[in-house]
Amino acid sequence: MEQLPETPPGPDDPGWDERVAGTLEEVDFDTDLGKRMAEDAFRIADGELSKAEFHERYTDAVEAEFGVDERPTKSALETRGPERDPLPKVPDDREQTRRNVLKALGGVTAAGAASLAGCVDDTGDSDPPAQGDDDGIIDDIPHETQLGMVIDTDRCIACLQCSEACKQENKTSQGAHWTYVFRWSQDPEADYDDEHDDSMTRPCQHCTDPSCTYVCPTEARFKRDDDGVVLTDYDLCIGCRYCQVACPYGVNYFQWGEPDPPEMADDGIRDSLHKEEAFENDHFEHDRTSRNDRTVAGHPPEGVMGKCTFCVHRQDSGDPDLEGTTACEQACPVDAIHFGDINNPNDDPQQHLEERPDLDRTQLLEETGNDPNIIYVGPQPSRNAQPVQGPQSYENLGMTEHRREAIDDRFTQEGETDD
Amino acid sequence: MTEATADEILEPMGRPSGKWLAVVGVSGLGLLWFLYAWIVQLRSGLIVTGLGDWGSGGGISWGLYIGTFVWWIGIAHGGIAISAAVRVFKAEQFEPIARIAEVLTVVALMMAATNIVFDLGRPDRLFNTLINWPQTVTHSPLAWDIAVVTLYLVLSVTYLVLTLRPDLHAVRDRVPRYLRPFHRVLTLGYTPDEDEKAEQMAWWLAVTVLALVPLLSGGVVPWLFGLIGTQPGWYGAMTGPSMLAESLTTAIAMVIIVAAAFRYAYDWDFIDEDVFIGLVKVLAFLALATLWMLLHDTLSGVYLAPTAVEALTFALIEMPLFQIALGGLVVSTLYLIAVILRPQLLHVGVLTVVSVVVSFSIFSKKLIFVVEGLLHPTSPPLTNLYLEGSYSPTWIEWTLVLGSIVLAVFMFAIATKLIPMVEIDSEQPTNTTTPTEGNQ
Repeated sequence: MEQLPETPPGPDDPGWDERVAGTLEEVDFDTDLGKRMAEDAFRIADGELSKAEFHERYTDAVEAEFGVDERPTKSALETRGPERDPLPKVPDDREQTRRNVLKALGGVTAAGAASLAGCVDDTGDSDPPAQGDDDGIIDDIPHETQLGMVIDTDRCIACLQCSEACKQENKTSQGAHWTYVFRWSQDPEADYDDEHDDSMTRPCQHCTDPSCTYVCPTEARFKRDDDGVVLTDYDLCIGCRYCQVACPYGVNYFQWGEPDPPEMADDGIRDSLHKEEAFENDHFEHDRTSRNDRTVAGHPPEGVMGKCTFCVHRQDSGDPDLEGTTACEQACPVDAIHFGDINNPNDDPQQHLEERPDLDRTQLLEETGNDPNIIYVGPQPSRNAQPVQGPQSYENLGMTEHRREAIDDRFTQEGETDD
Repeated sequence: MTEATADEILEPMGRPSGKWLAVVGVSGLGLLWFLYAWIVQLRSGLIVTGLGDWGSGGGISWGLYIGTFVWWIGIAHGGIAISAAVRVFKAEQFEPIARIAEVLTVVALMMAATNIVFDLGRPDRLFNTLINWPQTVTHSPLAWDIAVVTLYLVLSVTYLVLTLRPDLHAVRDRVPRYLRPFHRVLTLGYTPDEDEKAEQMAWWLAVTVLALVPLLSGGVVPWLFGLIGTQPGWYGAMTGPSMLAESLTTAIAMVIIVAAAFRYAYDWDFIDEDVFIGLVKVLAFLALATLWMLLHDTLSGVYLAPTAVEALTFALIEMPLFQIALGGLVVSTLYLIAVILRPQLLHVGVLTVVSVVVSFSIFSKKLIFVVEGLLHPTSPPLTNLYLEGSYSPTWIEWTLVLGSIVLAVFMFAIATKLIPMVEIDSEQPTNTTTPTEGNQ
């Protein structure tokens, strides 16, 4: 999406007509309708028009033009409730996907983005207060620190760089993808096609109400008070895997055997050292001990559960260059991952939400009540979404996509050496 | 009803018979193989199992070990069912098998715990669960489980010892010399005056353990699964009641198997047809209850069910193991009903085979329950985006699970050498030390 000027021209300014016409001509939809809507959007911002009136005024026209009407002002008409299936199905019209509608609306909002930003309030608490043309900086709102991410699926290109960077950083075992990239098609019959397929990366959701910490029989899985990161104490965990079955997101990866980062598969270290030593000599380059003196960083030792730690070794490093960053965020070539304090209006996640007011926002599986701290903006998988290969494969990058295969291979090898 | 004589009861504690040596020999060899498999797993880690990570991993986190754990917990209810029948409900026909059933309870609980240990990635840290128990009991169903299983074990062992003391005292001069120090420890401080009080305590213990049953197989064990909303195959209020019915069914089936084994091994005719007919009636009722619960589960899963539940239920119905389990249960129930209608159809050998079929069917059902829920985890859209799970247990898993059964047989064989396996009381007037009104 193009960068907006600080103060876009309003309908009264000179150059408005040219600007609107120029912007709207880039999309295939009705230029005149877009212009009228943009003008009325400014009237909402000025308080001359209510959102509900605005919504009703254009319902028929928008439906005729786009096939659906999913404008953010819809909530002004309805009693607010969680949207279970944000993706409308458009029968018999493959071209009219949610994304196209969003792109079209994007054209409209490009003309009046600053004012429409004030209209988008249907995502509840995470949304910053309406700002108008203000830069959105509010310093005096007290909040609890909760590290989280805003992930822009509209930008995601399914390149799998985040998965690879995470593996390099944390030295996770073969097939363990602490951040795994879903690639899906709303139409299961279609081959991968950038226009119709989408993707999102799935780290641990670092939930506000994590079910994994509830079920843990040793409190090895815990949510850190000061920054809300969900971690596993590698010295306490007994390896019962209850956290794994209780997590709705499938983000846990157990260390079934000795740590097996792909890089060290052939260096002979594991054969010559005992397990504890192998864990110490596993090339994980950072401090495993967190600032609260628990062993939480990097991949887990054998027999213990692991998952994304939000690169806790970086957060606790005391190095300002590393704090507030994660490996996946830095590796993302399209700036889709925005990591930081999700409650801080000045930090990356909320800043990105402000930059992308036009996009849908969701949490995965909201109905489970875990209240995840990963917010996705952009296209979401529908209930019927089907996985597709995507432009890049784990195997091409020297990784194993499905852990089961890696484990089976190793068991066969172990069996041979044992017999 | 044929009375058991002290000679008959004490016979197993004397010279080892050929049958006993065969059982100990075969199960001992089995245990060596089992130990080998366990050492392989301890050295290599759980990677030698067929388990894996659900999600992008395409595996399942829990499998044979957890399924077997649930099965053993169910069997552990056999002891209290019989003891309660004898002590609380005065069904004295079951008296000859009361102690056998109590020993079965203690053994089954230990085997359940053993299967949990098999399943742990770090069994050496098992006691972390106890150290942190005061905090975790407020939120973790596994901590509830530890609490109730431990309580159940302590109460069962106490009950066993309490009812054993008068017997050991009564036969103190007739048991082999090498057992006497052991028996002296068990009867420490015993005087015949305590019998009346001990009988009252046993009654209260039986009532307490009975009250724990709906909390164990009908409570904390199903809650491990039924409370987890993430797993559509597990979640639900029916999990508790149906698991309780299954557990009690397999418990009675196992009591029949063990009772028949003792009758066969020692020609104990005092475990007579009355005992077996009584057990058949109970087993038939419980098997019907299990089938009824199954009907609820499947019907609500196929008729206008939410899509995820419907898909799961159809996947379940199409599983060959499920069909075998259901068929086994139905055929067994028909035989049991036939025996109730025509008692002359009772044949202890056939009944034992039927009980094995019932027990295996329930085992399969519990295994399917654990596995199937994890094969189709979470809800759409994630359930579509992840790989469907797959699981095939390895020889190590089968060996350890079968090993827990072999270990149970071995422990039973040893127990018959250590304590009288039948309660000795009024039928031995000269040695009678428990002339309580309750037992007359």
